[in-house]
Amino acid sequence: MSAPLLVSRLGSRLGRGALAFWLVLPLVPLLLWAAADRWSAPALLPQAWGTTGLAEARAAGAGAAAVRSAVLGTAVAVLATPLGALAGRALTSGALRAPGLVFAVLLSPLVLPPFAVALGLDVLLLRLRVPAEVGLVLLLTVAAIPYTTVVMRAAYAAHDRHHDEEARLLGASAWRVVRSVHLPLLAPAVAGAAFLAFLVGWSDYVVTLLVGGGRLVTLPLLVGAAASATGNDAQVAVLALSAVLPPVALLVVIGSIGRRARR
Amino acid sequence: MTVLHRWHGGVLVAACASVAVLTGCAAPDAAAPVAEDRSWDDVLAEAEGQTVDLWMYGGDVQGNAYVDDVLARAAAELGVTLRRVPIADTGDAVNRVLSERQAGVTEGEVDLVWVNGDNFATGRQAGAWLCDWTSMLPNIAGTDPDDPLLTSDFGTPVDGCEAPWHKAQFSLVYDAARVPDPPTTLAGVLDWAEVNPGRFTYPAPPDFTGSAFLRQVLYSVSGGVDEVPLEHSDEAYEELSPALYDRLAELAPALWREGDTYPQSQQELDQLFADGQVDMTMTYGPATVDDLVADGTFPETTRVLTLDEGTLGNASFLAIPSTSDDQAGAMVVADLALSPEQQLAKARPEVWGQFTVLDLDRLGDDARAGFEALPDSAVVPSYEELSAGADPELSAGWVTPLDDGWRREVAAG
Repeated sequence: MSAPLLVSRLGSRLGRGALAFWLVLPLVPLLLWAAADRWSAPALLPQAWGTTGLAEARAAGAGAAAVRSAVLGTAVAVLATPLGALAGRALTSGALRAPGLVFAVLLSPLVLPPFAVALGLDVLLLRLRVPAEVGLVLLLTVAAIPYTTVVMRAAYAAHDRHHDEEARLLGASAWRVVRSVHLPLLAPAVAGAAFLAFLVGWSDYVVTLLVGGGRLVTLPLLVGAAASATGNDAQVAVLALSAVLPPVALLVVIGSIGRRARR
Repeated sequence: MTVLHRWHGGVLVAACASVAVLTGCAAPDAAAPVAEDRSWDDVLAEAEGQTVDLWMYGGDVQGNAYVDDVLARAAAELGVTLRRVPIADTGDAVNRVLSERQAGVTEGEVDLVWVNGDNFATGRQAGAWLCDWTSMLPNIAGTDPDDPLLTSDFGTPVDGCEAPWHKAQFSLVYDAARVPDPPTTLAGVLDWAEVNPGRFTYPAPPDFTGSAFLRQVLYSVSGGVDEVPLEHSDEAYEELSPALYDRLAELAPALWREGDTYPQSQQELDQLFADGQVDMTMTYGPATVDDLVADGTFPETTRVLTLDEGTLGNASFLAIPSTSDDQAGAMVVADLALSPEQQLAKARPEVWGQFTVLDLDRLGDDARAGFEALPDSAVVPSYEELSAGADPELSAGWVTPLDDGWRREVAAG
């Protein structure tokens, strides 16, 4: 192995290590706090270990809140992913007269502050007598569509339509083409888009509280309430980890879908 | 408890403006809807089977546990399901109710709110609260109808638009191991801070606690509570505030980090105290100090400081939104929360440690004996001792000018 190659490999490995360290570092105090019954400065490590944080988080209803967050995230993903796929396909099909403008409109929810959107549309949805849960899913789906559109637009831009046409020529039905050719080829992108849409529902605070009318007490609501006081650090750490770890696990699953598809 | 009181005027105004733009709505009718007068049995009968959504500040673990395990269970015996919605800020509940009111909703999601101060005043201006209902509650008889803390909420007349729940007392908290000979007046505290540079600071107003500290110092430098008119006027402000800002500007170099920076919230100050960086902290909810000592956040030698001249006192309440359709159930819960049994359970330090709003002289012998038998805390003196010579709160009109003036004269100076 030549020396420059060795140096470049070493550099790449170091860079990756530093990046991983940078990503994991904020989780270290969270993990320590989650298992700390007492940790006051200037001690470097907790003075007393225990499960107080876990017990308090459970008493606050973390388990049920996690289920509600998952249901909300799934509902948003189920709605926003197909819509994003349709938008992505249309944007790359060449059939639109001004795809740039349409794309900008689809991305516009990203630039609106969620607090203003929640308060403004809240009154409108209430006037129209839209049930709180329906309004909540509707609003979060709109917030998730920019993410799914961006991902699916990129996927369709790289997607070769000839595969679909080939299958049709060989006599496959339209539905069979979608199921056996189209979706498997786009599966990694669909999974990625669905993951981002899921995160929008999973992690939302202000729309869930104001538009949802407090009916769905999700994990972010519990984290926000617990973090607004002194002395709840262990509980907040457990709640925060419960909010962070499931998406990370999901990401690993999606990553494996992507790898399988590339093989 | 303290976050409950944050001032949310700016956010609300901005919110209403954006609402008006998006939906072209007119300002809602500001007249407060009034509860119809009816018999308590009637209310109880209607309440049966209702679900009451209580929106309350959720940062207090003991408070959450009390509502879930004690109050909700007792409500269930009356046929009312009590559901707690934890929020980081009471202003969120007010925002939701104002949206519902603008939309003309009559079956709103919020049935009961733990509220006081500016959030109550904001809601009253917009007719967000149901009024004239507390006189129907049987247990209101246990309170003193002339108690100034219960008839006026930071200068806003209560008028039966909210039922009393707890009392609170602004308190300074110190570590007896580090301050063996504590001062006994607020002027003494400021002098002590100058002799011990870097060991004292206060949260930057408009943090609720920092703002209360400002008002407490105003009383002190003005020569006592009687020298400050409770209603705000420009003349009174011009006359009294220079002495306040001069004293605090003079004190600044002796504060933590030489007064170059201030903790942004009471939580930050508590953390500085817990970490031993300063020797005093302050709170409007001294009942929580017991718990912070018990779980080791604060040192065991933590004590609440009583001041000779007394400190600011307030009460917090349960309000029923005018948009709620479970108002009977909400009244039943508010009455239950006022009962001597619930007030006593809530006053126990191991349950929540909140001071009662009941007047012990109006209670039966058994109930009174229960309150008198409450254990003494080594950390927090009894409410009688803490509230001796309690100072009334200034009206909400004082708060913003004082906070703004502090930023101009002290923080920027």
